[in-house]
Amino acid sequence: MNTTHIIGVFDSKSDLLAGIESANSKNITIDEIYTPYPVMEAIDALGRKSRFTTAAFIYGFAAVVGVLSFLYYTSVIDWPINYGGKPTNAFPSFIIITLVLTILSITILSLFTFSVRAKIYPGKKFILPDERSTDDKFIILFDKKTAGAGFEAISAALKANGASEVYEKEV
Amino acid sequence: MYKAEVRGPLILGNKDYGQITRDIIAPIDNKTPGWWKVAMAVSITLASIGIFSLYYTVRYGLGTWAVNNSVAWGWEIINFVWWIGIGHAGTAFSIFLLILRQKWRTSINRAAEAMTVFAVMCAAIFPAIHMGRVWLAFYIFPYPNTRGPLWVNFNSPLFWDFIAISAYLLISASFWYFGMVPDFASIRDKAKTKAKKAIYGMLAFGWTGSTKEWLRYEGLSYVLGGIAAVLVVSVHSIVSTDFASSVIPGWHTTLFPPYFVVGAIFSGFAMVMTLMIVIRKYYHLEDYVTDSHLNAIAKILVFISLIMGTAYTTEVFMAWYSGNPYEMFTFFHNRLTGEYSFMFWAMVICNAVIPQVMWSKKVRSNITALFIISLIINLGMWYERFNIVVTSLSKDYLPSSWTSYSPTWVEIGIYIGTIGIFTIGVLFFFRFIPMIAISEVKSVLKPTEISEKH
Repeated sequence: MNTTHIIGVFDSKSDLLAGIESANSKNITIDEIYTPYPVMEAIDALGRKSRFTTAAFIYGFAAVVGVLSFLYYTSVIDWPINYGGKPTNAFPSFIIITLVLTILSITILSLFTFSVRAKIYPGKKFILPDERSTDDKFIILFDKKTAGAGFEAISAALKANGASEVYEKEV
Repeated sequence: MYKAEVRGPLILGNKDYGQITRDIIAPIDNKTPGWWKVAMAVSITLASIGIFSLYYTVRYGLGTWAVNNSVAWGWEIINFVWWIGIGHAGTAFSIFLLILRQKWRTSINRAAEAMTVFAVMCAAIFPAIHMGRVWLAFYIFPYPNTRGPLWVNFNSPLFWDFIAISAYLLISASFWYFGMVPDFASIRDKAKTKAKKAIYGMLAFGWTGSTKEWLRYEGLSYVLGGIAAVLVVSVHSIVSTDFASSVIPGWHTTLFPPYFVVGAIFSGFAMVMTLMIVIRKYYHLEDYVTDSHLNAIAKILVFISLIMGTAYTTEVFMAWYSGNPYEMFTFFHNRLTGEYSFMFWAMVICNAVIPQVMWSKKVRSNITALFIISLIINLGMWYERFNIVVTSLSKDYLPSSWTSYSPTWVEIGIYIGTIGIFTIGVLFFFRFIPMIAISEVKSVLKPTEISEKH
């Protein structure tokens, strides 16, 4: 369902950060920020946190246990083979495959997690409030209903802090 | 506080963000240049020679190659290690420089990663075709099967190699692709035709550049960067264990893993230099791939060249110091002198001697000289692999089985073919994919912006 949004357009990162600061100081709720490259300060300003590294660690741990168990099963339980009298549980030489397969598992599962959490997948229907944000503009998006201020107030606050344009749009 | 300008501006020409997008996607929007068509025609011809040679091998068997009981690994393994080495640097370049927060990587990492993917694809052809019956290559997958519950040998370096290379190809390709998603979105939103909007829109996976996406994107790139750094070191170490875990003189040495990893990065960085010079020259991207970038790569190459020289010397020294007569024979009578001494000295001159001219700033700022040196290094790295593979195998413990090796036209044809396949890939990359990471370059455009403001 379309709702009316107020869009603030900035030409540079420093103007964007000043705009965010002024919105925050006036208790105006920002809905989302769109930038042409990652701006960590903007991510922090929205209080967004990622647990990606924790997830990756869990994947890695599970993969180590899984691969070592698989190697133990195939080499010791299912079909032990005598290679010149070497022990069937050849642990040190299992490490290499464990390392590589762990890395592979972390990669595949992280990509999957990224796709799910950031909602990035082939054929996704997306809403981009202002197409210039993938090129050269920094965009702050306010939901008119939840922003806590009207168009005039938001426009004045953003323009005083370097916004090149502020407009309303159904998104 | 002491302030020194360590590196000049990363991007020249006082660009703004919009200009960066336009400059980098211009080669995709513009008409296909004439030189591209000529290069593509040549590449297709080379690839066709390779495909015919591959067909000939499959049709008539490995007897069409010059490999024999002694020299069981010929050009195929030389070329495999050579391509893997080249493929190595792409990821090494992005990952190590990402972890070390080297911002100058941003102009180069995309091309380096592209090179990795194509080079590893070329490399993978060789072990597969070397199996003899390539249609049974799937036997190497560890799966419960109908041939009896017999598993592959998990202790074999050749199997480690298979796992490592498959994983490396998959991870490099994913890392490369996800790096491109925001750039595909930029192209989508600037596209003038419907078809282009649809194609790049599909490739962009619905990217919008919201904080929600960037946060996870950054998380993903650091996780992948961190673990792929381990992979870069492990893959070529594993390739070296194909040799080092054998008992062949000249191979059985603990020096091999670091020697191979450094050698791989050496050849890969040289190939990155070759590619970047071509990109900058033909697509006029001198403002992005500046003299300072090439200077930085040249300095790394000089440093690695010294390590290579040390490794060559160490090998020879250890052969003498160990007192092992077989090692002594291999190095002093079959490498430094003897039938294949040309390969040894060519390797030393190309890899350890010639790159030393890059100590001179004059050479480092001469693009033609850098281009020639980068090609010489890759030639030298090929000689190195020939030197390792053929000299040790041709004359081992049993003089009655000593033999010489020179390749047949089929083996040469396959090698030429992989060069064609690689250049086809690179040319498609030039034409349809932003050659420089647009969003990353934008992030380093004004690194001092915030501190100036406050």
